[in-house]
Amino acid sequence: MATREVISTGNELAAMAAVDAGCMFFGGYPLTPSSEVMHVISDLLPKKGGVAIQMEDEIAGVCAVIGAAMSGQRALTATSGPGISLKAENLGLAQMAEVPIVVVNVMRGGPSTGLPTRVSQGDIAQAKNPSHGDYKSITLCAGSLEECYTETVRAFNLADRFMQPVFVLLDETLGHMHGKAMLPTKEEVEAGIVPRKTFDGPADEYFPYECEADQPAVLNPMFKGYRYHFTGLHHDKNGFPTEEIETCRKLIQRLEDKVELHKDELESYEEFMMDDAEIMIVAYGSVSLAAKEAIRHLRNEGIKAGLFRPITIWPSPAEKMKEYADKIEKVLVVELNIGQYRDEVQRATSRLDIEGLFKVNGRPLSPYEIVNKVKEL
Amino acid sequence: MARTLMRFTGVGGQGVLLAGEIFAAAKIKTGGYGLKTATYTSQVRGGPTVVDITLDDEEIFYPYANDGEINFMLSVANVSYNLFKNGVKEGGTIVIDPNLVHPTEEDRKRWTIYEIPIITIAKEEVGNVITQSVVALAIANTIMKPLDKEVLIETMLSKVPAKVHDVNKVAYELGEKYALEAMAAKK
Repeated sequence: MATREVISTGNELAAMAAVDAGCMFFGGYPLTPSSEVMHVISDLLPKKGGVAIQMEDEIAGVCAVIGAAMSGQRALTATSGPGISLKAENLGLAQMAEVPIVVVNVMRGGPSTGLPTRVSQGDIAQAKNPSHGDYKSITLCAGSLEECYTETVRAFNLADRFMQPVFVLLDETLGHMHGKAMLPTKEEVEAGIVPRKTFDGPADEYFPYECEADQPAVLNPMFKGYRYHFTGLHHDKNGFPTEEIETCRKLIQRLEDKVELHKDELESYEEFMMDDAEIMIVAYGSVSLAAKEAIRHLRNEGIKAGLFRPITIWPSPAEKMKEYADKIEKVLVVELNIGQYRDEVQRATSRLDIEGLFKVNGRPLSPYEIVNKVKEL
Repeated sequence: MARTLMRFTGVGGQGVLLAGEIFAAAKIKTGGYGLKTATYTSQVRGGPTVVDITLDDEEIFYPYANDGEINFMLSVANVSYNLFKNGVKEGGTIVIDPNLVHPTEEDRKRWTIYEIPIITIAKEEVGNVITQSVVALAIANTIMKPLDKEVLIETMLSKVPAKVHDVNKVAYELGEKYALEAMAAKK
């Protein structure tokens, strides 16, 4: 694989990735610590004929993105936790109507306006269920500068494959840290673009929501001669509201199954020194960097620790975590919240004795804090 | 090269971020690894700001400087100096602007403290206060020598607009001169 060296920040890399992945529209509202995504993309998009627009607020930002995606374009919004809270209603609309959009969330301290300039991983549970009702979140979590780029690219392809919002989680540390990233070339990214499916038969035979029980809707770009209705209500094959019992059941079951039955296409994780590990640390995002440094120290002292790092965090790599937890007694989840992902590790592994190291004061977890916790286990 | 950890501290708006980016980029240019992280408060102007710079030949994972391991700190604001000084290891080096930062006698025993009027140099001798980050860059590199001077200057020039290249070159030379003088005076 050809690579190129770029010296940049996570936020800038996410913006570059979107443009390289064919994104032609950005709509949003600047919010610390995600604002640089918008700054950078508003410079890049017009140069390739795209549009970046600062809307009047977060809600309008995601609405504009949904509209752009309905026209057939790849579209992005970027924000932080408080912005996701505002966008929640329309994220639900995009889930229900099956509109492929990418949402970058650079996490900061919460709840509410919280700690605007400080790092946190408090939006893990929010990313799973930002809006009411049943649907299946697809959430990718970058753990390095490279991944701020590569996971954003992957998010666009997954959004078009599954026809729904896809979240990319960064955190303040990753978004603002400045260093070297080895990236795939633009040509390689372009070659990997898989556009969403379209229907090219006669217009009167087009039923966007009539699809296999485990497949997403096929939404042709609006205003190209294929008519359908667009709603957040339960809808029939044409998109018109319905309360017909079986249609309603099948629709929601399909939103679940289109993801649940194809988890193999989504699964992604990293195993770091897990081969002979006697202690498994589970960490993701910037915390995994501290965990790797901690594992270096622990290994120097003869303590066999390893890292399991989910990259696709929703749906979680549950089977793999269970496989490890069945043979490794000591499992420690390290995260910048009070156990939001430990809940998932407990569920996945059917074990309630999963240890946790948590921090919620806006400061990063240092490698030494992890080393000390591991020694206590 | 062993890991070099440097910390630049000031208050928001002083431009301490740029020096960190230049160090990281220059180290990467020479084939190594460099990372810069910045921590600031939500009062963007006037709040204490800290920039950590990690330089190494080996891959760096954790991007912040661990307290007690920092080799070098430069500070141009008293509030930030007091907040972040304890990250510097015993016997480490601290550069302060004596017009703005006031170390205790205890501090002077614990660390090697150089007093260089960074802001005044930038404002009066270079003639542009914004060049203080380049004065600081030159001081840090002259004292710690993590990087070849030419690579650092070349990287610095690539990050500032062409119309201010000359003034920034002057800022670098002045920073270097004052650092050498301060070092000679300690001997």
